[in-house]
Amino acid sequence: MTNMTSQQRKLVYLIGIVVLLIPIIWLSLPSDGKDAPGGVLSQLRSKYELGEADLGDVDASSAAMNFALLGMRGMAVNVLWKDLDQQKDTKRWAEMQATTESIVRLQPHFERVWDFNGWNLAYNTSAEWDAVPDRYYWVKQGAKFLKRGVERNKRSTELYYRTGKVVQHKIGYADEATDYRKFFLSDPDPAFKGGPDPVINPDGKDNFLVAREWFEAGCARELVRAQHILDRSLFRSTPARCLFDYAQALQKEGKFGEETRAAWDHARKDWTEVYGHETFHALIGPEESDIMLEMTDEEIKQQAGTPDDALRVRRAVDAYQKMTNYRYWRTRAFAEAEPEMAEAHRRLFDAKQAYKAQEFENARTAAYEGMEGFDKILKRPEYASLTDEDVLCEECLLGWKIWDDIYQVSGDKIPEEFPLKWLVQMKNENQMIMLNVNKQFKRLFLETK
Amino acid sequence: MSQSETVIEIRNLSKVYRDFWGRPKVRALNALSLDIKKGEVFGLLGPNGSGKTTTLKLLLGLLFPTEGEVKILGKSAADVSKNERIGYLPEESYLYRFLNAYETLDFYGRLFDMTAAQRKERSEKLLDLVKLAPQSRRRQLKEYSKGMTRRIGVAQALINDPDLVMLDEPTSGLDPLGNRDMKDLILDLKAQGKTVLMCSHLLADVQDVCDRIAILYGGELKVMGRVDELLKAQDETQIRSSKLSEAAEKEIQEVLQRHGATNVKVDQPTASLEDLFLKTVQESRERPGHRNVTDNQSVS
Amino acid sequence: MYFDPNEYLLNPIISVLNWVVVVGCLTFVVLFVSMVNLIATRGASGVGVFFDELGGMVTDLFQLSPRRIWALTRLTYTEAIRRKALAVFVVFGLLFMFAGWFMGDTKEIKPDQVKVYISFVLTTISWLTLPVVLILCCFGIPEDIRLRSIHTVVTKPARRVEIVLGRMIGIWLIGCLVLAVMAIVGHFWIVRQIPAESQSLLTCRVPVYGTRIDFVDREGNAAKSGVNVGDIWVFRSYIEGATKARAQWTFRNVGESLLDSDGNLNFENSFSAFRSYKGDMTRPLFYDIRLINPEKNLAYTTDPQPVNEFRHKLDTIPRKVTIDGTQYDILKDFVTDRKELHVEVSCIDREQYIGMARSDLFIRMPDRQFWMGYWKAILGIALTLLLITMIGVSASTMVKGPIAAVLTFVIYFLSLKDNHQFMDQLVFGQVQGGGFLESVYRLVMHMGPSQELPANPAFVVVKFFDWVLNNFLWLCRHVIPYSQYFNMPEFVSNGFDVPWDTSILPSLLVTSAFIIPCVLMGYFALRIRELESK
Ligand SMILES: Nc1ncnc2c1ncn2[C@@H]1O[C@H](COP(=O)(O)OP(=O)(O)O)[C@@H](O)[C@H]1O
Ligand SMILES: [Mg+2]
Repeated sequence: MTNMTSQQRKLVYLIGIVVLLIPIIWLSLPSDGKDAPGGVLSQLRSKYELGEADLGDVDASSAAMNFALLGMRGMAVNVLWKDLDQQKDTKRWAEMQATTESIVRLQPHFERVWDFNGWNLAYNTSAEWDAVPDRYYWVKQGAKFLKRGVERNKRSTELYYRTGKVVQHKIGYADEATDYRKFFLSDPDPAFKGGPDPVINPDGKDNFLVAREWFEAGCARELVRAQHILDRSLFRSTPARCLFDYAQALQKEGKFGEETRAAWDHARKDWTEVYGHETFHALIGPEESDIMLEMTDEEIKQQAGTPDDALRVRRAVDAYQKMTNYRYWRTRAFAEAEPEMAEAHRRLFDAKQAYKAQEFENARTAAYEGMEGFDKILKRPEYASLTDEDVLCEECLLGWKIWDDIYQVSGDKIPEEFPLKWLVQMKNENQMIMLNVNKQFKRLFLETK
Repeated sequence: MSQSETVIEIRNLSKVYRDFWGRPKVRALNALSLDIKKGEVFGLLGPNGSGKTTTLKLLLGLLFPTEGEVKILGKSAADVSKNERIGYLPEESYLYRFLNAYETLDFYGRLFDMTAAQRKERSEKLLDLVKLAPQSRRRQLKEYSKGMTRRIGVAQALINDPDLVMLDEPTSGLDPLGNRDMKDLILDLKAQGKTVLMCSHLLADVQDVCDRIAILYGGELKVMGRVDELLKAQDETQIRSSKLSEAAEKEIQEVLQRHGATNVKVDQPTASLEDLFLKTVQESRERPGHRNVTDNQSVS
Repeated sequence: MYFDPNEYLLNPIISVLNWVVVVGCLTFVVLFVSMVNLIATRGASGVGVFFDELGGMVTDLFQLSPRRIWALTRLTYTEAIRRKALAVFVVFGLLFMFAGWFMGDTKEIKPDQVKVYISFVLTTISWLTLPVVLILCCFGIPEDIRLRSIHTVVTKPARRVEIVLGRMIGIWLIGCLVLAVMAIVGHFWIVRQIPAESQSLLTCRVPVYGTRIDFVDREGNAAKSGVNVGDIWVFRSYIEGATKARAQWTFRNVGESLLDSDGNLNFENSFSAFRSYKGDMTRPLFYDIRLINPEKNLAYTTDPQPVNEFRHKLDTIPRKVTIDGTQYDILKDFVTDRKELHVEVSCIDREQYIGMARSDLFIRMPDRQFWMGYWKAILGIALTLLLITMIGVSASTMVKGPIAAVLTFVIYFLSLKDNHQFMDQLVFGQVQGGGFLESVYRLVMHMGPSQELPANPAFVVVKFFDWVLNNFLWLCRHVIPYSQYFNMPEFVSNGFDVPWDTSILPSLLVTSAFIIPCVLMGYFALRIRELESK
């Protein structure tokens, strides 16, 4: 090397460069349509649908930014994440959002990034604000952000789920859920003139129904690409569960008419006829077998070859039903179809309203009637299992709490026997449930006018 | 030449170039001593790499001597105020290539604290003097040919009407015409009583214009003296004249023979400095360390 | 919203003393090293040369010529322009054309969105002018030496210090030119970006902060701080509602000038709310403000005011207030003889908390125009550029262009707030995990910072080495400017005017503190070096 002229040396370098380039060029040869499949990289790219256009909407800006960084993306992203963390700690929300924007431009197909930041906005940032409309604004920001994530990553199963989850759970079950659900239909921002924010609720639907659409899309994607968030049986129950959420929410808001009944009916049908007939692969002994949550003994026998197998299939179905709470919701849906059940709900709701309005006598009567109604229904053998789940029990116990409290305050002697006494005694040990009931009661107490 | 004041005084000057780590790399100049008087044109002669440029840079304070001392216009080389009276043309015209000719001269004029009017007047005069075509004066120097750059280089060296002009290879890159102009210019400077120190490896330049020369080889002074004296062979006499007729030549030969001259040759003169130069280089190779200095006043 | 302005002023005497010491030490080190170097290369005669040079340097300093400096400035300037330094405007233009990409929604403008716009503009401007200046100042002189064009300059009567000065001024002028153009465009961009109805969000508030904040705990005893509600960020401290807990501010030099044109006293706050239970979420938390005069035993309490979290909340107190039927004048009756005004804030809601820091409550004087603050921020950037120019030029007289650029950039980078603070922590041993070598060891061995090092004598050496490095860092810490003073953009993007005393003046002082050492160092380096590229 040393006794070469500089020209010779340059020639050697040139040859070296060319030699090194050949495999790269060969590997990354672009494909032009059908005739030439292109190099290995582009073949792989189309095989796994990793082309920018396959992944979701193409965003020229983010492609340009990544290009301009010339492989320094990792460093840039690192700095941005560090900034984000600091901005979050120091509550600089607008800056945090701007940083998030830059991050997703650099990592547009990193699903966890969308997931994490959307969640951050909807759950953490919103909680830092005091006023409910402010909180709602940030929940919405989170949902919108996740929605954009979906648009950029159409292949992602999980992002559909996450978006649905914010709309269903954060808007539907937060402490401020009553307000959030109202805001979902009628945004507090005057820019929307009393209507919903069209970005997250274009058709002005109930949040649970919108969430259901996201979950349905997620389930459709799930057939193509597995998700790693929930067990598959639970994941596929999400659309149907939204219908239960919807029906319950209507009741909670004091709607007991046809709308609510139809909601329960729809939920029941969806649960037993659609979800109940989804096929899952369960391990039956050493082998796999297709099972469904809604399976008659007859069907089980058909599915299994031997009586032994039938027993195993039965057990698997039981296990699946348990995991997904399948039976409870089925029973509940049937129970909710009973007019007595609707009436009992209504009386307990009345009791709450009366209590808030400090009409204690009315409240006591309404509560008692509600308790009576539930007492009857829950004692029926086909509905006995309803006491296994907390939600309904909490409602009943809150009714009792109101009734009990009025006695306590008025100084009247509490009757020895009363409806649902058995339930109160049964749940008294369950700290979780009593804590929840007390919390709800305290809030009710604070809302008395 | 009168016994006038000494403009440049070099005593025992040596320069060793060092590398990054301070280790000696090249001894470019070795114990050089010489004096240059006011009003003379002094030529530093030597093959490439003999230390001519190094000498000039040491004189100007661009380099620091390893040993020895320099006095220039009575001041030390590091003293910037001496530059008021000095003009310097570097080996290659290291000018700012993004300026045009006017801007260049204006810039250097400002460095001499000249007023706008002075600068303007001086620039025009110098550009005419160095014969830079008027249409190219507004073009950036990066578009100039080598010869044009050289001319603007000379102009910037003379911007301050210096008393001492140092020219490093003034004719390099010039066409024969330019070459002639340059020599005229030097003679003109001499006529104005300026001192000129020029270095060159082109013998013809030196021979025509210099009063005295020094020949450097390998950083050492080999020959120094008045050009005419150095070239005067002690035991020969040369007669030159415009071309004579056959008859006239014959007549002269007869006259000479009558006076007892032997080996009479009548022919055209040769460039004898070249002989001297080649002889010196040859001798230096054969007898390193030998010196032939006719100029007795300058060696201490 | 969060903003924490500088609390402290530069103490003039201590600062100047500090400066003298640091510059003196530097001068000594530089002179000493060059003398040793001269003696090493030239033997005993080196000493003579050293003192000759020193004398020459000093005389040169008295022979500066403005015309020559200006010639060199113009040269630098022309060079930059003709070498296409202004191509940076292309990048600038592109960035602004696509600015929307970084901004997210532009339809909904919220107050803190405005902040993002302003800081986008100011950050872009400073990060675009910075490389221009950095490249120009670090490559100018080395390139001049490499091409030897400097030979024609130093063989003229131009002093080498004039070359240094000319470069600095020329580059700074270019920087300022670029900066000014960008700032004008940026100004228009901000104004255009914000819809007409939201223009009022472009504020330039003039705050007067309390000089101190004190806390009183729920029992009524003086406390160092309020309650920590579990935030990682300890900036705010919380007071509990419906107890004796409260925060007390002291404002100094309160007089007519702090009142608005109607004679009212305006308090602005950015308190934050913390609920220990949610309660009625539709009802905000409330606080009240009390003006007290302990000397006269007088107190005036405002009506309960809702907390408006993460936004500004303005409370106006009229000059004449009525307490129990008697009228009082705020300035006359509440400002003490020492011209102090005492203000207390307490939270009204039981079991709820309100968080506050010193800068969360201030007297808001009449606003200035937005452009006033904006251009002060630009001044801040210009001063930063000047600082970089000076450091860069003087570095480039000693080392080659790329090295000078890296060096200058590192100095700039270390001067940034977070980095400077980290350096402080390192120097004062507040960083867990030891110094350089020790940290490297821990990294390689996957050891946590709090784990004990194994008992091995090798670590004595490691620790000693780290100690030496740390001492070097101590020196760096004193030399590297603290750019926290140059945070004018931060004020403006937070909607504040840039204060003279805590920002403009200190940054002017810091900048000027660098002028003399940088110029001298550059001059010295240029003078003792041979102008041949190596
Ligand atoms: N900057 C330098 N570094 C190292 N050696 C140099 C440097 N400049 C010149 N030299 C060496 O010094 C010697 C004299 O050079 P120079 O004075 O330029 O010769 P001349 O001008 O007579 O052609 C040469 O051998 C040359 O290689
Ligand atoms: Mg030469």
